[in-house]
Amino acid sequence: MIDSVIRTFSDVGKIALVLRTVVVTVLRELSRGKFRLWLVIEQMFAMGLQSIPVLVVAVTFVSLMMVMELSFHMRMLLGQDSLVPAFSTLLMLRELAPVVTCLLLASKIGAGISAEFATMRVTEQLDALDQLGIDPISYLVVPRWIASVVCCVGLTVISVLVSIVGGILMAASALGYTWEQYFHSMLFLSRFSDLMASAGKAACFGTLIPVVATYYGFRAVPTSEGVGNAATSAVVMSSVGIITVDFLLTYLFYAV
Amino acid sequence: MTQFLKEAAEFVVVGSYRWLKHSTIAAFTEVGDTALFAGRVFRSLLTAAPNPIEIVEQMYVVGVRSLPTTLISGAFVGAIMAIQINMQLRDFGAQGYLGGLSTSVTLRNVGPVLIAFILSGKVGAFTSAELGTMRVTDQIDALRCLGMDPIRFLIVPRLVAVILSSFMLLIVGLIVTVIGGIFISVTYLGVNPEYYARNIPSIVGWGSVAIGVFKSFWFGVVIAVLACHRGFATQGGAAGVGRGVRQAAVSTLVCIVAFDFLISGLMSLVLPLFAGDSL
Repeated sequence: MIDSVIRTFSDVGKIALVLRTVVVTVLRELSRGKFRLWLVIEQMFAMGLQSIPVLVVAVTFVSLMMVMELSFHMRMLLGQDSLVPAFSTLLMLRELAPVVTCLLLASKIGAGISAEFATMRVTEQLDALDQLGIDPISYLVVPRWIASVVCCVGLTVISVLVSIVGGILMAASALGYTWEQYFHSMLFLSRFSDLMASAGKAACFGTLIPVVATYYGFRAVPTSEGVGNAATSAVVMSSVGIITVDFLLTYLFYAV
Repeated sequence: MTQFLKEAAEFVVVGSYRWLKHSTIAAFTEVGDTALFAGRVFRSLLTAAPNPIEIVEQMYVVGVRSLPTTLISGAFVGAIMAIQINMQLRDFGAQGYLGGLSTSVTLRNVGPVLIAFILSGKVGAFTSAELGTMRVTDQIDALRCLGMDPIRFLIVPRLVAVILSSFMLLIVGLIVTVIGGIFISVTYLGVNPEYYARNIPSIVGWGSVAIGVFKSFWFGVVIAVLACHRGFATQGGAAGVGRGVRQAAVSTLVCIVAFDFLISGLMSLVLPLFAGDSL
């Protein structure tokens, strides 16, 4: 028990060290002007574009759910549901869109990155990079970090839009709203600053995911069991990390 | 120039059409495969009872070790929802409803989904990595050579253990969300605990608790079936194990969200028959 607590804290500390190394490398690359843009674009394609279908399906279901649930609660408390779009959009925008999107990406991107790095460890590709004098952080990690931040923010904005469409569909079919009424009620409470806060959250989660995955991928034991363990630890650590960071950011944004 | 544009447009259209076609076919194949696998496993479960000691062993490996993760994430989910609902209610001066509303929304919907997301990483990915490693290192084939049915001796105990332990972990997590909500409201939002707790019984009826429990059970089934199937069907060496873990985690998340919607829809049709209007 004590051992696992100590191990968790030492993991968190080492992950912070990886983050520092990545940031230092990016700054050095930018100051020298040798920046591998093409690798970033390749990664963005692999991470972002291929996650869109899964994301759209998941977020649509969540938004249908929220409208249904909130109309149940509003009817029970107020006896009417004219404010359902306002509340459901606000909850999606501030909380569920970034968290659901990034938890999904933590499985998709995080497990992918750490399995990839661990496989490179198994097939000795990381050693080969070392032999060639290429810094694995600058060649492998930095493009993934930048791509992941961009993808998390972009996909969060997309999932906000999808959730609005899903909400309109549900409200129109089950609660008898027209889309004009829906927008009117929606814009009653939502502000642009909420979207910015949600993008800020997504950027933090987008930093967390590849850094955690890198840590577990690089230190994997070079066997097929090690690859599985690395991917599992990356998913678990980044999901718990996302919930924790989300609590801290929500507290900072909305409760202070 | 127009020729180039035409070719580029054709490339994009044809490429995205092919990609869409392939991914749709792959998705449906995956669903059918999983259903067949689940059918085999449940038939085996019904014809031959699994060894209870094996199940308890697996539950210890999967369940007890995931308890700290569940507690942490449950407490944070409850606290986050309390902050959000408080923010929305404060503008209307309706903070009296805070306790009831945040507990109700968390128990019925947000809590099971988010905690199941975390568990799909912890429990599901762990199981699929373990089974995938066995498959890749030929241990499953070795079992078959020894004349043992891998479904019966390997998958069934694991499936039952994962279903039971995810269910229990989700229930524990839901209880912790309530505590997390109370804690954050009392310490940081400045709401009197009595004031917070007064509305909980009147808003959170037995119907809501039943929905939370029912969802928890089905999310456990989803996590177990998908993780076992993905692990069992792993191919392609060490890289395949990693791919299996990723696919298991992603498809579990999507299925959890879909089941959440379906169960809520079904329950909202079924429950009024039993409870009348007093949900």
